[in-house]
Amino acid sequence: MNFSQHLPALIVVVPLFFAFLMPLLARWRKQWCVPVTLGAIIFSFLAALKMVFQVMSTGPFSYYMGDWPPPWGIELSIDYLAVFAALTVTGVGLLIIWYGSKDLLHELKSEVIGWYYTLYLLLIASMVGIVITNDIFNMFVFLEICAIASCGIISIKESRDCIEAAFKYLVLSVLGSGAFLLAAAMLYMVTGHLNFTFMAEALPEAMALYPNNLLVALGLLIVGLGVKAALFPLHVWLPDAHSSAPSPSSAVLSGLVIKVYAVAMIRLLYLVFPRELLGLAPVMDMILGMSTLAIIIGSMFAIVQDDIKKMLAYSSIAQIGYVFLGVGLMSESALVGGILHIFNHAMMKSMLFLAAGAFIYGTGARKLSELKGVGHTMPIPTIAFCIGAFAMVGIPITSGFISKWYLALGALDVGRPFFTAVILISSLLNGIYYLPIVVNAFFSKTEEVVPEPEKLPKQMLVPLALLSFGVILFGVYPSLILGIVYRAAQLLLGL
Amino acid sequence: MTITEIVLRLHANSYYFFAIILFIIGFHTMLTHNNLIKKVIGMNIMDMAIFLFFVAIGYVRGGRSPILEPGVNHTFINPLPSALILTGIVVAVSVTAYALSLIVKLYKHYGTIDAEEIMRIRGGGSL
Amino acid sequence: MQLLGSFLPVWIVMFPMVMTVVIYYVEQRSEKMRNALAVATSVVTFLSVLALYPGVMAGNIIEFELFQILPNLAVSFRVDILSFSLALLSSFIWMLVAIYSIDYMCKEHGCNRYYPVLIITLASCMGIFMAGDLFTLFVFFELMSLISYVLVVHEETIEALRAGYKYLIMTIIGGLALFFGIIITFELGGSVSLSNPVPLISEPSNLAFFAFISFLIGFGMKAGMFPLHVWLPDAHPVAPSPASALLSGIMLKTGAYGLLRVIFHVYGIEFMQATGWTIIIAVVAVITILLGSAVAITQENLKRRLAYSSVGQMGYILLGISILNERALMGNIFHIFSHAFMKSTLFLAAGAIILKTGKKNIRDLGGIGRQMPFTMFAFTLAALSMIGIPPFNGFLSKWTLSLGAMDAGVPFYVLILLISSLLNGLYYLPIIIAAFFGEEQGEGHKHELIKINEAPYKMLIPIAILAVSCLLFGLLPSNLPFDLSRVAAEYLLRGGF
Repeated sequence: MNFSQHLPALIVVVPLFFAFLMPLLARWRKQWCVPVTLGAIIFSFLAALKMVFQVMSTGPFSYYMGDWPPPWGIELSIDYLAVFAALTVTGVGLLIIWYGSKDLLHELKSEVIGWYYTLYLLLIASMVGIVITNDIFNMFVFLEICAIASCGIISIKESRDCIEAAFKYLVLSVLGSGAFLLAAAMLYMVTGHLNFTFMAEALPEAMALYPNNLLVALGLLIVGLGVKAALFPLHVWLPDAHSSAPSPSSAVLSGLVIKVYAVAMIRLLYLVFPRELLGLAPVMDMILGMSTLAIIIGSMFAIVQDDIKKMLAYSSIAQIGYVFLGVGLMSESALVGGILHIFNHAMMKSMLFLAAGAFIYGTGARKLSELKGVGHTMPIPTIAFCIGAFAMVGIPITSGFISKWYLALGALDVGRPFFTAVILISSLLNGIYYLPIVVNAFFSKTEEVVPEPEKLPKQMLVPLALLSFGVILFGVYPSLILGIVYRAAQLLLGL
Repeated sequence: MTITEIVLRLHANSYYFFAIILFIIGFHTMLTHNNLIKKVIGMNIMDMAIFLFFVAIGYVRGGRSPILEPGVNHTFINPLPSALILTGIVVAVSVTAYALSLIVKLYKHYGTIDAEEIMRIRGGGSL
Repeated sequence: MQLLGSFLPVWIVMFPMVMTVVIYYVEQRSEKMRNALAVATSVVTFLSVLALYPGVMAGNIIEFELFQILPNLAVSFRVDILSFSLALLSSFIWMLVAIYSIDYMCKEHGCNRYYPVLIITLASCMGIFMAGDLFTLFVFFELMSLISYVLVVHEETIEALRAGYKYLIMTIIGGLALFFGIIITFELGGSVSLSNPVPLISEPSNLAFFAFISFLIGFGMKAGMFPLHVWLPDAHPVAPSPASALLSGIMLKTGAYGLLRVIFHVYGIEFMQATGWTIIIAVVAVITILLGSAVAITQENLKRRLAYSSVGQMGYILLGISILNERALMGNIFHIFSHAFMKSTLFLAAGAIILKTGKKNIRDLGGIGRQMPFTMFAFTLAALSMIGIPPFNGFLSKWTLSLGAMDAGVPFYVLILLISSLLNGLYYLPIIIAAFFGEEQGEGHKHELIKINEAPYKMLIPIAILAVSCLLFGLLPSNLPFDLSRVAAEYLLRGGF
């Protein structure tokens, strides 16, 4: 059928279209904003799901925009990693905006709420675009859209902290995009192609002639995407940005946005650059070093935080370190663990941020010391937070355990048990800052009378419940998602 | 390599050389100046440097502008980088507009656009 | 019948879990129903475990794989003679503790939290003992450790929360160490199933040694091994007494059980004897025995003294594990039984004292024996058994352990056992003497007729049963725990299969 043939394009175009329609709707039919947004993202989610089935049964395929074949046209490459990331982005994005439809009414001024949906749809469209595109300049364009949209959903709140954080994020993000564009320029210089597949074919010869050029391009790419993905030590924008933003924004930024940049880096490192180049410079070791530092130092900073959202933001820095650890180790199990962690952390961190948002909605309390006894008055967000905390620590039957298992196994596979120890130490550090919150919520006798919290609307409770159910489901039946992740890892490693 | 060889090499690749110098100037401005507007200007200079680099890639010595005339056979310069940079310039413009609007809001909140002043008023944290 | 037999382990684990949810809903309506359901659940569990007896004693091993979670990693159950013994012991004691809890907890707050947690801890302990592979064991181990946190902080006082926090952190550390060991085993051996006909790790290497140390840290932390015992003296006293009895009596033993499984199924007995790594366990065990017994003497709080005593006693069990011959293992497993009986009696009796008189410190316990004769009599029986006086079961286990030590040619251990028995005496006898022959402290009721203020009978009966068992199982030459220990030891040494 003609319609389903164009799904790869539609999955990006539909949210984009409705993003541009949204300001009109906001002015004339305000009550249509939420259903239209949800509808657009549901469409993208279903399209991603259909593409998952298609890819799993017939293998990866490509889509040419406007039927112009590469190298002249823009190619969208739908392979396992792309469709997995697209599914994650649309699925979790859907739950977050459903939560946000009620939460935003509290946090934002009423005249800007329509614009929030615009920015959100742009964000989803650009994130899906980043992961499915096979053209480096197309990726740059989507990268920029994503940058502006993500800064937008922070600054829309218009408080002092938000504007500052958004400015810092914007400046560093533009730096990252600039580095990325320069790297693209350098790659174009020596290969004459913008398409990943064609570049990958041309690069081995180019490497013989211009090794320095490629090394510089590689370095610029890592720095550029590293700034955006908040890899230590380029993470400095993250704590302020994620903690001052409205809760749905924090959830989508921590859970999804930083991940797509990691996916982009995975694609470039594994599918474009030749393996010998990675041997010339100790690129993977550098990534391993940076991710180890991210894991340890991120957790250590999180321990000393008092504000719940800042703590969760520092925790995100540590968790993105896991993903890069999987990338750097280069064994099949490690790559499976890293890619799976993209999915797992998206669910876990979104759930934690949404639960924190529920706490703030209900009691207005952001500091950890103010959250005592909240387990008795607001049970559902607290239980969701509890499950999320256990998943972060890596208790079995939660999905966090599965990705940790694979990462640890991967480290042992390449004969570096040091990184297994790093993963275990970080689990302990995670426990040190998550579990006291859970304990405080349920077990401390509150001396002061806790004011009766505002009742949480159903739109906020159901996504929390669905996400917690998902975390446990994928902890007990990980085979549901592992099939596609295994194939993605094998494709990336060239097995 | 002797000095003359280096100078000759640089002259041959002069566009790239100047692009890199502009990039460094822009980067330096962005990082070291305290005035927020100057940071945005630095950002623009940096972006322009990258665009210059990219466009210079497309230059073919002795080529003409890539407009086809029937019956005439010439070498043309590569049109692709120029097309790409159009998009890039638009992106840079929109980012600049957004950054400037953020600065306006910051000025409303703090009364100053000096990054150090803002840090002092805020009492810690980094910008 | 065959199918029922192999499904029984799953039923034994699942039934209490389901009943937890039922109890949680019932308790909103009626307290009596809740209590009755809790006791009924523990009784049914005990009977179900008992139903496994004929099959297991005939030499069958019941295995059941539930589902595969990852390639090569399954959730499976396995009941052999060792699992059966420990499951039987745990469910028996749980049953008695449930009956005891009805009267003890009737005045406490938070009963609605206590009973479901009690039952789900039972389910997780059953899961640990009947696990068919290291992964299942790990899952239930973590579950049990985390849920028993709720029991530890039940009182919600500052000390309880602080003790609970220490317990939680050490549990996480232990769990992570276990994870490290399990993943190395998976890497080196390809699977973590306990039903493997040959041991999983066959070559000594640095990685195998790391795994051994991690398993030691993980299980040892739970078993109260020095130097990871530091959570124990804080956590056991602050928990309510029936929970203390369970913590000291059963949950410490899960650590020892795990260590036994690791040594026999992951490494295999020839490997251990060839590499001699068990010497580490032996050294640590000796330190634990001496430390636990010695520090117990200095404790003022009765329950804290009992907690340090548990540390020392677990040292005996660890020592038995390190001596890998038949009589030592027999003494080891029998001591798991006897210590469970003895320490539960002691903690339940201490609980009765606290309930009736509110006295927690030993120097306040003067004359208690005249107020609560039955309770203190049971306490005395258990204490004498702890010291190792014949004909109690404590003596029997120490005797068997000593014979095992002599078999292995290390009479030094016998000396350690004697010294610690002496130290045990030094801290138990004063309590007994003060209770029966001391003056009653307090408001100077010197010459009044001391009325008997005994504990309610629902609490007395479990205490009595446990105390009498201490006597019975030491006196009768052939009794169930002793037989089970002997068969289990032979079975383990045969290769665990």
